[in-house]
Amino acid sequence: MRSKPEIIWIDAVTCYGCSHSFYNYPQIKELLSKINLSYHPLLPSNGFEIKKCDLLIIEGALKNNFTRLDFNLNELVAKLIKLAKRVLLIGTCAVYGGIFGEGILFDKDKKGKFYRCHEKIISIPGCPPHPEWIAYAIEMIIKDKKILLDQENRPKEIFAYTSHMGCTRNEYFEWKIDAEDFGTKEGCLFYYQGCQGPFTHSSCNRILWNEVNSKPRAGTPCFGCTEKTFPKKALFETETFMGIPANIPLGVSKRAYLTLSGVAKSLKNERLSKRLIDEDN
Amino acid sequence: MKITKKIITKIEGEATLKIHKNNNIIEFAEIEFWQYRGMEEFLKKRPYMDACVINPRVCGICGHSHLIATSKAIENALDIKITNKAKMLREITLGLEIIQNHIKWFYLTLYPSVKSKDYFNALNFSKEVSKVIAMIAGQFPHNSYAIPGGVTCDLTNLEIIKVKNYLLQLFERYQKIMDIEGNSSDLDELFENIPKNVGKSLNRFLVLGSDLYFKSNGSADLVKEEKSTSLNKNALYEDAFIEVGPLARNLNNIYVKKIYEKYQDSVFTRIFARLYEINLIFEYLIKNIENIDINEKNYIKPSKNSGKGIGVVEAPRGSLIHEVEIQNGLIENYNIIVPTQFNLSNGTKNSPSPAQSALMNENEKLSDFIFKCFDICAVCVSH
Repeated sequence: MRSKPEIIWIDAVTCYGCSHSFYNYPQIKELLSKINLSYHPLLPSNGFEIKKCDLLIIEGALKNNFTRLDFNLNELVAKLIKLAKRVLLIGTCAVYGGIFGEGILFDKDKKGKFYRCHEKIISIPGCPPHPEWIAYAIEMIIKDKKILLDQENRPKEIFAYTSHMGCTRNEYFEWKIDAEDFGTKEGCLFYYQGCQGPFTHSSCNRILWNEVNSKPRAGTPCFGCTEKTFPKKALFETETFMGIPANIPLGVSKRAYLTLSGVAKSLKNERLSKRLIDEDN
Repeated sequence: MKITKKIITKIEGEATLKIHKNNNIIEFAEIEFWQYRGMEEFLKKRPYMDACVINPRVCGICGHSHLIATSKAIENALDIKITNKAKMLREITLGLEIIQNHIKWFYLTLYPSVKSKDYFNALNFSKEVSKVIAMIAGQFPHNSYAIPGGVTCDLTNLEIIKVKNYLLQLFERYQKIMDIEGNSSDLDELFENIPKNVGKSLNRFLVLGSDLYFKSNGSADLVKEEKSTSLNKNALYEDAFIEVGPLARNLNNIYVKKIYEKYQDSVFTRIFARLYEINLIFEYLIKNIENIDINEKNYIKPSKNSGKGIGVVEAPRGSLIHEVEIQNGLIENYNIIVPTQFNLSNGTKNSPSPAQSALMNENEKLSDFIFKCFDICAVCVSH
């Protein structure tokens, strides 16, 4: 019998949100039974050892003068990447740097310290990444299946979508009806509340979080947490240019978007302009 | 006397323990944290609302407590009152975060320091608890639905009914782990070969938050931070070390009190209080969810944009303090004091912190277990 693929999961500068997100994968037991998890920072595992592995999973950012397991973090990561057959970066910190430091593949929008190893690296950004994305990447890698990647080494089967796809506020977006304020069922959060859904690569609203919900569905804007720009300043505000959002939906020209918005607004949707649930109607 | 250095892992990060021992008996232990992430600096000059996105990222397991503390601190700074509905929804998600934390801590952190045990049932349980948080907050971990002024969601009775029935289902399921009389075969099994009265500590307790059914016995004004020998800061109350957490906030419960009278503030009592707290939180939430008035406002817009405030929350590991200073809508200063700073301060042999005191005079082979019974959050310390 072929032995199970050996995986080392190492923590760089992280909050462990990636691990805790992964714990919510409904079939975690079945997934873990397919691998030999030789080290994980929180799950029961063997002691840590610098050695070869089939897959190295890195959670967290790089940072100078940071200690991990008594090693200099950046040196430790370099040694582990060199010895690993494939590398899976999980979380925006590991991919782009995020809040805590410098990414492994990228340093925000520049090439990162380990870009030269990009051929064996897969990126699963997100703060945190969805558990299904992590599980998908592990399964695809251990079965040695071909993963179509975008320019930033993100699997297209996850990141070809925008977080806008599947949002329950889409009807309001179609008719350009903004949310008056936080805490309402009605309105799209793209115009004033800072929602980055239409230009953020992710499948949050397609597969949902914790199997039931998403931030925009709960009235919270998408913060673009899968992107290199995360976390931008003024996360609850929409940056505008001449009265329209400065960042417009992916794939549309400014002019086309303006035209469409004007038409949609002028053909007012009466139903969506009122409260959804009202004692008087 | 010999000094051995150990790196303790599987504690949401890592800590260094320098054990001073004599014939395997611990005379003293130094506790060090060598990581620092600079989150408070990262917040400066950002609009205050950004803290609702940045601060949950202090910690992947108790980030929601950091979110609630953030909103409370800003509300305090800007004189904002929130509705009862918003307050109750926050209590549900806060309480559930405590529950998922305790379950993971017991089966993933504590048990493996003594013996191996299947943890998939625990992960499945915590996954279901996280799902209920997500029904209200959008997702778990790392949502930002509690904002200064209330909450972002606008639930219908459909979701409230679903949440309520999930609470009932999970409460019943928890009875197999520990029932409402405090019986737990998994806890008995853990203590098969460990005496129940080891790890006694300072016997001084602090509760600062008044969330859920918790009763505060102190004021955050009397908390002081001081430099430690490593990268963390010690936290003191009235210039002395003190224990925070589930044991501190549940000493009034009759079942916890009974155990406390028998074993004082030992490892066993500390663990019992933590597991029993889950029952009390479920009972509180199931009773109080009935009081949600769906017609109340979810959010009230703040009118001020400068001020200084403090937010206190009972987080999974104890009292959590956030302090903020806002000027013209921007964060000027931010300070976070986490529960692990209280319990795992690095004191001296004459004046040890709760964890140090619990380790002293015990056998070294129990050091990992005694240390971990405080439920350490190293990542919170290294904010």
